[in-house]
Amino acid sequence: MTARTLAPGAGAAIGRRPVPWSRLAWVTLRQRRGLLIGGGALLGVFAVYMVVMAVIQHNAYAVVAACHPAAALKCQQLNNSFYRSYWGGGAGPVIAGGGAQTVSSLLFAIPVLLGAFAGAPLLARELESGTFRFAWTQGAGRTRWALSTLVLPAVVLVAATGAFTAIFYWYFWPFLADNQVSEMLPLAFALLGVAFAAWTLLAYSLAAFLGTLFRRTLPAMAVTLVGYIVLAMATALAIRPHYATPVTVRGWNNTSAWIMSQWVKAPDGQMLSQSAVNSLSQHAPPSVQNSSSPDAFTTWLTQHGYTLWQSVQPNSRFWQFQLTEGAWLLVVSSLLIAATVWLVRRRGA
Amino acid sequence: MNVIETSELGKRYRRRWALHDCTLTIPGGHIVALVGPNGAGKTTLLTMAVGLTRPTAGTLTVLGGEPPGSPGALDHIAFVAQDAPLYRTLPVRDMLHVARNLNRRWDQRRAEDRLGQLEIPLSQKVGELSGGQKAQLALTIALARRPALLVLDEPLAALDPVAREDFLSSVVAAAEEDGISVVLSSHVLADLERVASYLIVLTQGQVRVSGPVRDLLDTHGAGLEEIALRHLRAGVPSSSRTEAGQ
Repeated sequence: MTARTLAPGAGAAIGRRPVPWSRLAWVTLRQRRGLLIGGGALLGVFAVYMVVMAVIQHNAYAVVAACHPAAALKCQQLNNSFYRSYWGGGAGPVIAGGGAQTVSSLLFAIPVLLGAFAGAPLLARELESGTFRFAWTQGAGRTRWALSTLVLPAVVLVAATGAFTAIFYWYFWPFLADNQVSEMLPLAFALLGVAFAAWTLLAYSLAAFLGTLFRRTLPAMAVTLVGYIVLAMATALAIRPHYATPVTVRGWNNTSAWIMSQWVKAPDGQMLSQSAVNSLSQHAPPSVQNSSSPDAFTTWLTQHGYTLWQSVQPNSRFWQFQLTEGAWLLVVSSLLIAATVWLVRRRGA
Repeated sequence: MNVIETSELGKRYRRRWALHDCTLTIPGGHIVALVGPNGAGKTTLLTMAVGLTRPTAGTLTVLGGEPPGSPGALDHIAFVAQDAPLYRTLPVRDMLHVARNLNRRWDQRRAEDRLGQLEIPLSQKVGELSGGQKAQLALTIALARRPALLVLDEPLAALDPVAREDFLSSVVAAAEEDGISVVLSSHVLADLERVASYLIVLTQGQVRVSGPVRDLLDTHGAGLEEIALRHLRAGVPSSSRTEAGQ
């Protein structure tokens, strides 16, 4: 043994403390600089648009809200024109072809876009380019490196999308304010509360996991996109309605609830089938059948002793539903990140 | 202290044994040439030694008994993989900073001095460096970690003759200055002949020759090239020579 080789015990000379997280964080942030700029720009463009529109909409809505009595024709016309301009878009003075409805549906794509672009390359790029052979043989060790690489962008994403939700609330408030749009509707629910950030986190974790599994960025992005759409649809259609037993309420005019189903009961309390309702509508007097009012038939039904029923998830359950969805998305995301770390630990060169 | 010690070490990829029944002791203080044809198992052996891959069979320890990939081993072994993978989009300065932040031991001045001597600008992007400069940058980063053992996998394969010469003299100079052990692999013995003080010949996943160059020359009474060739031929049936990719 020559004197010029260093004994392994020399490790004691540099202390037993591992490489600090703050230094790993620097590495992660430096490597994700492009993502921070790109993702920030995407959210920023929408945020600026929404802030501008929020100011305009709040002013326009103030006029609608100040109109009394609300049932007066003049007020109804004001309200309709507000919705035509800012909800449906097209005829609006500021926006052509857009409107809150269009903007909301565009925002639906943001969680999966942000998540897939941020998550998929994290490990896939390292595995594709071979740089994992550099990263995993440094003194920090691959587990700490992987944790920093995965967790820090997740925290940044959740913080950014959470802040974005706050701006969206402000922008969207006039439509929620008079219950024209229920915050329980799938269209609004995923963009409010904790859901927007939680779905972004899910897309990110899924993309990171698939990127590590496939060792390829693009296939991971593609499968993330498909998987996300399937899961988001399944959640809105089949999972979310079961967070709580729906409430049965009388009448078909519930605007402050998410409607699950509706039916008609005969005067004797018997529930009518769809075909029975159809045949009733054909036997209604011509004045009802030819009426331009959509409520004519239901009004006629109630006048003849029929009762209208709905099964609904009321708006009062909004936060219960948000927290339920946020919780399971957080659990699934954490499991995906843990599985990714596990893959990194066992993956060979 | 033995820098690498293996006993009946084996690694199987699906059905093929990349390395089989490999028992080997590499003492410290040498520049070790690990030589063998493509697919002989050189990369497999080295990636197991640096903790990137786990053995299928047998045991492997580094730096006098440390398990590969353990914190103690990672701190004291610097590895440069084939083609010197580094982050291409980063400027050299930030690449250094990444390496610095991923290690507990780091000599920034040494790294900057070396790059200064090599005239590699800190503001240049890693992806814009020439092959020789990139290899030198990877070596600089490895040396700035002040390792006890430097492991280089096919470091010369992608370099032109001048860059090879420069790279090898850098390695020899560093080994002498810092007193570190070096293991280099190559499929061309001629590359390493002049610098190696210890030779290991590997073919078809098995060790054919292992020993200090001086002893090998004494016992065989032939040039290093000839010794290696003789063992390479002995290990490979000339009729059915296959060169599986690594």
